[in-house]
Amino acid sequence: MKNIAIITGLLFVLIATGGCKKDLLETKPDYKYNEGNFWESEAAVGAALSGCYNPLTSDGLFGGDATPLWEETATPNAYNYSNAMGFNLIAEGRQQSSDGGIIPQRWHDSYVGIGRCNTFMANVDKVEMSEDTKTRMKGEVHFLRGLYYFMLENYYGDVPLILDPPNLSTQAALPRTPREEVVTQIIKDLDSAALVLPLKYSKGDIGRATKGAAMALKARILLYEASPLFNSSNDAAKWKAAADAAKAVMDLPGTGYGLYNDYRGLFLPQNENNKEVIFDVQYIFPGLGTSFDLIGKQYNTNAPVLGLAEAYDMNNGLPITDPASGYDPAKPYANRDPRLYGTIFFPGDTLMEVKVTNSRFAVTGFGMKKYTIYDKGPAPAGQTDLKSGQSETNFIILRYADILLMYAEALNEASGPSQEVYDALNAVRQRPSVNLPEIDPAVTPYTQAELREIIHHERRIELAGEGLYYNDIRRWKTAGTVLNAPINTYDGSQIEVRTFNPARDYFWPIPLTETDLNAALTQNEGY
Amino acid sequence: MRSHTLRRLLQITTCLIILICADYSLYAQKSVTGKVLSAKDQVPLPGVTVNVAGTSSSVTTTIDGAFTITVKDGASLNFSMVGYLPKQIKVTSRNLGNIALEEDVKSLSSVVVVGYGTQKKVNLTGSIATIDMSEKEGQPITNASNALHGAPGLFVNLGNSQPGVDRATIRIRGMGTLNNNDPLVLVDGIEYSLDELNPADIESISVLKDASAAIYGSRAANGVILVTTKKGRGASKVDYGYYYGSQKPTAMPDAIWDPIVYMNLKNQALENIGKVHDYSDEEIAEYEQGMKTDPFTYPSSNWFDIALDNGQIQKHDLSFSGSADKYQYRLSLGFLDRSGIIIGPNDKEKKYSLGFNGSMNISKRLKVGLTLDGYYRFYNEPYYNSFWNYLTRTLPILTDTLPDGRYGNSWLRTPGRNNWENPRMIAETGFAKKVVSRFLGTVFADYQLPFNITYHAKFGADKYDGLLENFTPQVKTFNPKTGAAINWNSPSTAPRSRGIDYNDLNIHFYHTLDWNKTFAEDHNLNIMVGSSYDDFDSRSFSSGSMGYLDGTLTAISAGALPYEGYISGSSEQDVLISYFGRLNYDYKGKYLLEGTFRYDGSSRFANGKRWGVFPSVSAGWRIDKESFFHMANVFNLLKLRASYGQLGNQAVALYSYQNSINLGQDYSFGGGLSSGAAATAYSDPNTSWETTNTYNLGLDANLLGNRISFSIDAYKKYTIDILRAVNIPDQVGGLTGPSKNVGTMQNTGIELTLGYRNNIGSFNYSFNGNVAYNKNKVVDLNGEILYGFDTNLSTITEAGYPVNSYFIYDATGIFQSAEEVANSPFQSATTTAGDLKYRDINGDNKITSDDRVIISTSTQIPKYTFGFGLDLGYKGFSLNAFFQGVAGLKIYPTANLAFPFNNGADATWEWVTDSWTPDRPNARLPQVTPSNVDNDNYVASDFWLQDGSYLRLKNIQLSYALPSKWLSGAKIKRASVYVNAENYLTFSKYKDFDPESILNANSLYHYPMLKTISAGINVTF
Repeated sequence: MKNIAIITGLLFVLIATGGCKKDLLETKPDYKYNEGNFWESEAAVGAALSGCYNPLTSDGLFGGDATPLWEETATPNAYNYSNAMGFNLIAEGRQQSSDGGIIPQRWHDSYVGIGRCNTFMANVDKVEMSEDTKTRMKGEVHFLRGLYYFMLENYYGDVPLILDPPNLSTQAALPRTPREEVVTQIIKDLDSAALVLPLKYSKGDIGRATKGAAMALKARILLYEASPLFNSSNDAAKWKAAADAAKAVMDLPGTGYGLYNDYRGLFLPQNENNKEVIFDVQYIFPGLGTSFDLIGKQYNTNAPVLGLAEAYDMNNGLPITDPASGYDPAKPYANRDPRLYGTIFFPGDTLMEVKVTNSRFAVTGFGMKKYTIYDKGPAPAGQTDLKSGQSETNFIILRYADILLMYAEALNEASGPSQEVYDALNAVRQRPSVNLPEIDPAVTPYTQAELREIIHHERRIELAGEGLYYNDIRRWKTAGTVLNAPINTYDGSQIEVRTFNPARDYFWPIPLTETDLNAALTQNEGY
Repeated sequence: MRSHTLRRLLQITTCLIILICADYSLYAQKSVTGKVLSAKDQVPLPGVTVNVAGTSSSVTTTIDGAFTITVKDGASLNFSMVGYLPKQIKVTSRNLGNIALEEDVKSLSSVVVVGYGTQKKVNLTGSIATIDMSEKEGQPITNASNALHGAPGLFVNLGNSQPGVDRATIRIRGMGTLNNNDPLVLVDGIEYSLDELNPADIESISVLKDASAAIYGSRAANGVILVTTKKGRGASKVDYGYYYGSQKPTAMPDAIWDPIVYMNLKNQALENIGKVHDYSDEEIAEYEQGMKTDPFTYPSSNWFDIALDNGQIQKHDLSFSGSADKYQYRLSLGFLDRSGIIIGPNDKEKKYSLGFNGSMNISKRLKVGLTLDGYYRFYNEPYYNSFWNYLTRTLPILTDTLPDGRYGNSWLRTPGRNNWENPRMIAETGFAKKVVSRFLGTVFADYQLPFNITYHAKFGADKYDGLLENFTPQVKTFNPKTGAAINWNSPSTAPRSRGIDYNDLNIHFYHTLDWNKTFAEDHNLNIMVGSSYDDFDSRSFSSGSMGYLDGTLTAISAGALPYEGYISGSSEQDVLISYFGRLNYDYKGKYLLEGTFRYDGSSRFANGKRWGVFPSVSAGWRIDKESFFHMANVFNLLKLRASYGQLGNQAVALYSYQNSINLGQDYSFGGGLSSGAAATAYSDPNTSWETTNTYNLGLDANLLGNRISFSIDAYKKYTIDILRAVNIPDQVGGLTGPSKNVGTMQNTGIELTLGYRNNIGSFNYSFNGNVAYNKNKVVDLNGEILYGFDTNLSTITEAGYPVNSYFIYDATGIFQSAEEVANSPFQSATTTAGDLKYRDINGDNKITSDDRVIISTSTQIPKYTFGFGLDLGYKGFSLNAFFQGVAGLKIYPTANLAFPFNNGADATWEWVTDSWTPDRPNARLPQVTPSNVDNDNYVASDFWLQDGSYLRLKNIQLSYALPSKWLSGAKIKRASVYVNAENYLTFSKYKDFDPESILNANSLYHYPMLKTISAGINVTF
């Protein structure tokens, strides 16, 4: 009997080992939040908001090693020797839906941003905090969502428009929404943002989206909408709307926006957040850096090509092809538009007190100076050789000179040459450190078409190296011409002949993995 | 003089003969006869070795079992034969009459370790492979996982031989899941790692391949490996073993190390895609001229020679062991010292092991014991862990060192090569060091209860402490022409140091009640029930600093500034609670039945989805024991087995059932970093176990006095509810897809093993071979298709095909002319003669991604695995050879050296000699182009698919056991010496690299497989 009791007791022990401790199976990590316990504090909301900004710094958008700089290599301005992020394939018109690199990455990272913005909007009201702060934060998120959707519709055309937090069952099979509807939503988001966002921030918040940023992004989008690529009927009202949107930014009181005197210094970290900057992606090292300096100074994978160097006028305002310009082929870089010296390294230039030889920049002979900290003089202490991820120069998405040129272009298209057009154009050309001769209608009365060419050229020069030219040649529908051409090194040797298929290449393909995963997604023409 | 020498020689020879024949010369000789029979059926036994004890004098019995031998008075005779127990008889008369030998049923009665117990081999109803580690003695096995090569039904693949991380991937019966396919490993009943065990302390390994694993429930689906460590046995003794070996790669790519050939070929490659030359004619001419006088500026560097060296390995093992009625003990010490093939101080490994296994009978009822498996090991590797990438990316024009020893660079500007990775510099500077101390301690108690019930309890604590330290120095290379320095890494963040500490504690406890009962003599019943608790706690933290004055002090606190990116920490917990039981019944040892169950609860799943039941049932039939079976004289064993069981797999990431919000999604405002948070993955709270239904049918046969053994198993593993990270469209917030129970996968296969052993007199020989066939098929993926799943290749995982099948273009040949290009479906704007031509599958006259085809071969699991060994023994000599291989596997080597000029790398010689040119229209390869900028030839196509089958002489060993009479004076019981060659012969169509090591990597830039030649001794005192 006793034995039976012992055995029964042991059997009971066997069962009891786990039985009465079922909560033992309830384990939690102590280093990460989950959805259930996250939305509880103002600090968490702040972190979620930072999380909405964070995708701006991704490979697919304005970060990675140097994605926004490589975007220039898809244009006739620069060449991407290693096909970094796949931009050279795009330059050569050989991109495929199955490509890796920027095509799937931009799609992905934009939707990452959109998903976070949508999650933020759906959860922020769960937290008790100052309504003013909450309203402002929602404004920031509206701005960001608008920006992310712009990065989709602009490159891919129709894209699924999703405004709710990520939900597999309701969103995975959604088809592409017509681009026009997406743009309407973007404008709506930007208008909501502009309504609540402040004009400026105090020190610790600099870098957040402002009212001006929302209005400036709207101006850019309306300009694109008015451009030939999206405005096939050349509806002048669209140009007018674009001009009005740009003008609204120029006329917005209390912003302090203006042109920064020093064209070269505009892109240096010590002058960040100056009066010309309307919205930029904020970098900081350590923690959040890019490889802009490594790419520009050493890797040379965003190498300017001869075509860009030759596009700069002489400092008398005349193109080098003009016999009266004074251009001397023996000293090709003498007396040119000062922005040349602020934008590219060329053979004979000086880099960190050393003369730039023909082979210093091995790929084309030229190096991209803009967005590196390096120049003629010695490098800042301890920064002689910044490596991968160590650059912290902010990348400017919207700056005032661009607004002026947007205005000039849109107004010229909407209603032809006018003093306002010339004023905006000349303001950019006569920035103190640039000081090009005024374009004076009293001297040469340009036609609308002539002035269009001048504005196009001005955009190419002023904004060279900033990744905007790719979208300009797309929206002007000039890519079919300028991207069906050879590119050359400093001495005129041909690097490659690029091709561009106007029937296909104005839009990127929908990434193959996406059409594989969602059969409702149609593919763009030609892919 | 001459005759004197001759006389001396004669004297010595005579002495030697006298010595050898001493036994005979000193005693009277007589001739003895007899006849040897089988005890079981009294049939004569031919071929029995009859040896005069203590001498080398032997004869063999004739066909009728008879023998005649000359012996001295009082001698004894030893009778031995394979399959029979040895017998010794003292010579008492000149005719010994009939001598009966008992059948050796040891091989039949030997015991096999199974889950929570042991089982007689004859009574097994499941499919269990066993590895007897005594057969691997002397082999330079540095990681216990490598002892499993060639075991039946196992695919064992050693991806690389790097000191410290040479762990083989083990797949039992194919791949049953899209998740972790690693089997569960238990050491003496407690979950542990094969990495942390001295192979010399292992006695045997059981591999549970079918439903026999079901007793381990939710962790059993990939099979279970049970390791049993050595115990003391017999009189106290001391064993010492030592070996020393030298190692080098089995294969390296045939890279071009001639700088002129390289430069010309690179230029040609660029020209072929219409780009400018990298090297001007003037530069090449200058180089050619300069090579004659200045090898520093104009080197022809063979980097495999420069940066690689022979590796060395040595190992000491010492153990003390013994047993008596009331106790057994074994204490062991081991030391392994290895230096790898990379030059410099950063490719080393040392392992110190301490093992103890002791038990004691406290009373008639109570036995207690203790085991300890302690490992202290560390290994170094170059801090820049991309050493192999750099080594396969380097070029012959890169200067090794300048005359004064500074690391070289190249004066030639090579586009795409901006900062030269000098492999010597990478190998010699900085370090990464991992120090692991791990202890598994267990205590157990067995208590004998009434009614023949035994209570068994075991508690194990597994403490793991891993410290990873690395130091990144600031290094520079120098232009050999100008002397200009180039910072290889940034002075603003180097030197820097990092330390990561992993601190895990796993607690295991299980106890069982075991009841044995025989009813009415013929009915044997065994019931076991038990429960267990397993808790896995892991913690880690990491820290680092920079701002070091110089490279002399490397500790974190010697740096002036914290390095923020290196600072982190975490802790995780994983708990498993289980109840299990087993019932064994047999009738007269003829009909065998076994049933098991397990009920598992896991913290990896959401409340409500945690518990699962895993049952199994199996049966066996000893046909040879049936009265109607009339071939009992031929068959020593004939058994039919069948089993069915459900096995679970819980291998999902911890906490993956809940949406986690990750920090680190930061942004910067106002010049300060602002902490950001966001969900990055989509979670599904309904995930639960994967279940594998496993079916096995087997037949075992032993024939002709157990000389021949034969086994065949046919199986099917059908896994449902496979947990799989579903790819979801980016439009759902760009989130990583959740794990869902959606897939179904099937593995079917056949395993055959055959053994034969016999002797011709003193010459023993045996053969053991096995071949296994596995067919993997994805049955259902809920209509979804996975692309490039778990691999960086162009693969597809789709219902109806093997997991990770290649999904690539079908290359049909090489374009021979522009005309042919023009008349073929459009590929790309740059396609020219010399490029690969692809098949237009859908007939739309252009080659697009729609033209990819599925090649029905898994990239990861071969169709066939096989192994066979041959053991020969003659007196003290033995020669063991073991072959192993796989077949039915395609590999797809990519990148550096697999493709020419990949990302600024070199190319192999075949591109010089066998690439297409108008003059070489029948070349094997297309025209040479820089692979990463050429869009025509390097899209994934079957052109680059290679046969990964191989047959390898894994190990061959010749050993000699010194005769005991040489040793007795030195009080040595046993001594042997041996030489061993590992991986010395490999037969494969694939030549660029070792086919085994490329399988997991798909590239040539990782530590190669090594071949080892070694010699050693084993001594027992």
